[in-house]
Amino acid sequence: MLTHVFAQVVLAQNAELILSQAEGGGGAAFLLPVPEELFAGIIAFSIVFFFVWKWAIPVLNKTLEARQAAIAGELETAENAKVEAESLLRDYRQQVAGAKDEASKILADARDAGEAVKGDIIARAEGEAQQIKTRASDEIAAERERAVAGLRRQVADLSLVVAAKVVESTLDADTQRDLVDRYIDELGGVK
Amino acid sequence: MDDATAQASRIDGYAAALLDVARAEGDTGGLTDEIYRAGHALAGNSELIDVLADARVPAERKQGIIDDLLGKRASRVTVAAINFVVAAGQARHLSDIATRLADLAAEVEGEVVAEVRAPMELDAEQIERLTAALSSATGRRVQVKVVIDPTVLGGLVAKVGDTVLDGSVQNRFDELREQWG
Repeated sequence: MLTHVFAQVVLAQNAELILSQAEGGGGAAFLLPVPEELFAGIIAFSIVFFFVWKWAIPVLNKTLEARQAAIAGELETAENAKVEAESLLRDYRQQVAGAKDEASKILADARDAGEAVKGDIIARAEGEAQQIKTRASDEIAAERERAVAGLRRQVADLSLVVAAKVVESTLDADTQRDLVDRYIDELGGVK
Repeated sequence: MDDATAQASRIDGYAAALLDVARAEGDTGGLTDEIYRAGHALAGNSELIDVLADARVPAERKQGIIDDLLGKRASRVTVAAINFVVAAGQARHLSDIATRLADLAAEVEGEVVAEVRAPMELDAEQIERLTAALSSATGRRVQVKVVIDPTVLGGLVAKVGDTVLDGSVQNRFDELREQWG
């Protein structure tokens, strides 16, 4: 790049020199150096240019290339870091999403388990209530049957007591004898 | 020997002694029957037995009661036999001794006793027919001993050994109670 600048300066100086010569060299001739001076300047400039081109520019280019390489490396590192960060971000997002899914699943499972336990408790309570109801009904029915049987027994006993009293008071000697005779006849028929 | 066995042996002894007395008097059948009926008649009254078994009641008082109850209805020997048992402190076993006495007397004759409970006395013709009917029903020669028992109400109950033939009105009532209960 620097070489290019020097070349442009030299060309501009040569162009002015040619222009002044073409215009007759009258008025502007005093502005132009004498040829020897010009030649020496050119030689000096060439030498300087050579040294600059030979050592300064490569060093400068080398420095610039190193700088460029460093910047490119840093850019690459930054790019890698960015890619890595994006990857980490993606992983993190995936993990967060996974965690959310897991949390949702745990919540759903807990809700299902809760519903199952609730259903089980309700079913068990209903079963026990039904058993209690059935047992109570059975006991009521049994108690009613016992009461009816007891009442029937009492009525029967009372009726028989009354009947026995009536029989006792109405059985005269002839009837008693008739009863005994009838039973003796029945016994006589038993073999 | 336990108490029950000792008591059974005691009852056998008293019954055998009374049988010997009846034999000695020459009227085994009549006296045995009379003692049997008297023993069961007295035993049927639990309050009377309580008095006769009470050690605090003087023996003379017990004898007076028995004389009052049996004196005009039973023979002298029967009254003496009952007094003997009561005085020996066996009033509560009077019916058992009377039953055993009848069994021993019947065994001598090759017969078994048929204890017949009825609410009234049976006449000779009824006893004869009943003896024949029971002998026919059990296949054994029976000797009928009648015990008056008002709880029978009507009809009769015959017991021969372990066999009970119940034709009483009370039994009909019991059967009705079973059916209704």
